[in-house]
Amino acid sequence: MRRVSVLEIDHLNKSYGALRALEDLTFDVRAGEIFGFVGSNGAGKTTAMRIMLGVLAADSGEVRWNGAALDLEARRRVGYMPEERGLYPKMKVGEQLMFLAGLHGMTPSDARAAVDRWTDRLGVGARRGDNVEKLSLGNQQRVQLAAALVHDPDVLVLDEPFSGLDPVAVDVMSAVLRERADAGVPVIFSSHQLDLVERLCDRVGIVRSGRMEALGTIDELRSTDRPRYLLDLRAAPSEVDALVASLPGAAVVPASGRHGGPVVVELTDAAPDAAQALLAGAVRLGHVQEFSPVRPTLADLFRGVVSSADAPAQADPSADEGRRRRGRREVAA
Amino acid sequence: MRGNVVWMVARREIITRMLTKANIISMVVMLVVILAGAGVGRYFLEREQGPEATRIAVDQAAAALGEPIAAAAGPDVDLEVVTMTDDEARAALADTDAEEQLDAFVVGDPASPRVVVAEQADAQVLDTVTAAVRAYVVADQIGELGGDPAAFEQAMAAAVPQVEALDPPDAGFDGAAFGIATVMISLLLFALIGSGSMIAMGVVEEKTSRVVEILLSTIKPTQLLAGKIVGIGIYGLFQVVVLGAALVVATRILGVDGISVDIGSAMIWLVVWFLLGYLLFALLFGGFAALVSRQEDIGSVTTPLMFLLFVPFYVTMFLVPNDPDSTLVRVLSQVPFFAPFMMPVRDAFGALDGWEMPLAIAIAAVTIPVLIWLAARVYQRGVLHTGGRMKLTEALRG
Repeated sequence: MRRVSVLEIDHLNKSYGALRALEDLTFDVRAGEIFGFVGSNGAGKTTAMRIMLGVLAADSGEVRWNGAALDLEARRRVGYMPEERGLYPKMKVGEQLMFLAGLHGMTPSDARAAVDRWTDRLGVGARRGDNVEKLSLGNQQRVQLAAALVHDPDVLVLDEPFSGLDPVAVDVMSAVLRERADAGVPVIFSSHQLDLVERLCDRVGIVRSGRMEALGTIDELRSTDRPRYLLDLRAAPSEVDALVASLPGAAVVPASGRHGGPVVVELTDAAPDAAQALLAGAVRLGHVQEFSPVRPTLADLFRGVVSSADAPAQADPSADEGRRRRGRREVAA
Repeated sequence: MRGNVVWMVARREIITRMLTKANIISMVVMLVVILAGAGVGRYFLEREQGPEATRIAVDQAAAALGEPIAAAAGPDVDLEVVTMTDDEARAALADTDAEEQLDAFVVGDPASPRVVVAEQADAQVLDTVTAAVRAYVVADQIGELGGDPAAFEQAMAAAVPQVEALDPPDAGFDGAAFGIATVMISLLLFALIGSGSMIAMGVVEEKTSRVVEILLSTIKPTQLLAGKIVGIGIYGLFQVVVLGAALVVATRILGVDGISVDIGSAMIWLVVWFLLGYLLFALLFGGFAALVSRQEDIGSVTTPLMFLLFVPFYVTMFLVPNDPDSTLVRVLSQVPFFAPFMMPVRDAFGALDGWEMPLAIAIAAVTIPVLIWLAARVYQRGVLHTGGRMKLTEALRG
């Protein structure tokens, strides 16, 4: 019996001096799944991805692929797009991709075919003979993705693959990621474009200060014990307030309902039928224009997770250093 | 499989460096300069060396001076004595464009002749004629006194003091050996600096462009460094061989014959010491360059290494030609960073005992693994370090 392919990130810890970049970071990505890795700047996403690729050593913890440690041999089957893009600026696109494919163990003829296929697919086929530095940043980005895909990897780890892409390229990239996932490849990518993550990902992990704060499908993350409902009711605001007040555990979300518009009602510790009771009351009160559950967006969830932090999250030592240096400069000025 | 990866990296280095327009142009320019320089040099050498043979004409009356003049000039001087009439000689003297220029015309009484010249008497010609006239007069006088002029001449020839030096200088300063040695180690220095900085720049380029992160997710840092060193080494060797061959051709063009240096074996030693020197220095360049992340900072790590190249070069230039087998030179030429410069030069001067070259090669060969270890360690620590310059001690400790 063949076990399901899974990329396991198991209790990773990493410190830079006194700074804890990763703290017991644990999650897994299954075959065929697109995993969205979300977190504010310096939360530890890039550190985690670098550790997965062996570019950085963890203090403790392990990354496993199909149950075995993800060693150098296994990493050759991973497609990686680092946060800071890296290609030889003075090397032709085609030769560069051929070289990288070769390092990943492809024969020259396979590599040639794969390079042609991926550059065409990503819309940079016409630039194969140009030096990378001559390409626009967006096109360099496409070449970078081609570099991650050219060896037909078993795992895809992409750090901010969508940053700097035009909408057409975003669509192409999205389609490619979906297609690779459907082919059974676990795909993990980080992004700040939360709408994209929401649309694309099967599961999402939100990291803050090196810790996994929330992990699950978007629906799981959205499910809450304090559901909210939007109620658009033709009635006097005072009557609406009275109705909400009459229901145990229900409250109007403060910012809503001004100027007689729809109100958002939050039900805390509510009985399963509280929403129905609210609706019934509303119908009795007047003409109900709209009554619907308010589903938080990923951005809402993200803000919720991040704002619950007291201190600003920080994990990148160089960024931290820069911040300190800037601070000093300001003092000096 | 893994070795293959090293070769792939090496191949990329060779292709991207060798086939650039700038490189091809600079190689061609250097070859043209060397060969054209040799051609020009030959032209001047020939003009200088090929001074027309000295031609002195005598008239019928002074014909008796012909033999004494030839004898006075000695066997080393290319001198021709001809007999001419007055008109012929004057015409020949006036014709300054003639292929065989006449330098002087000796007329009249052999005991007190007149010397006719075009503009000014050449001092050497005048000396020669003066000596000839004296010899003629002395021989004449001795004959008149009843002596034997031939016996007198023999006695005179033998009357030369024998010099005995207590501390004779070594066979004189060997100019050809010095010239060839200078050119050789200059080429060596040029190649080592060139390939060393190429490695340093390559390492930093990968760091700056961050491509190193992609590479290192696939191959080991040591494989990347090894590939780079092998690739640039092959490229550097190619340069040394091509330029060295051009220099050999240049010496042929210059027609330097009969010199004490065997150019073929000098070339072989040049290649051997380039390879050893390359490994000694390239490893340090590669390892240390990983400590910085920006091209602007390269200087801070390569400057000490440049000193490590220039100091042995200049020490060699100053010490070895003067005294190629002094104790200091013997000792220094066994030190790994000095050996690549000193050994080929001492070899060119023929100052090596049989055991010295093999011992120096062995010492260098033993040093290289130590440097490999050092470079690999520094490189591995440094290559993924971003931001400012990483301290060497930090890289070594970790």
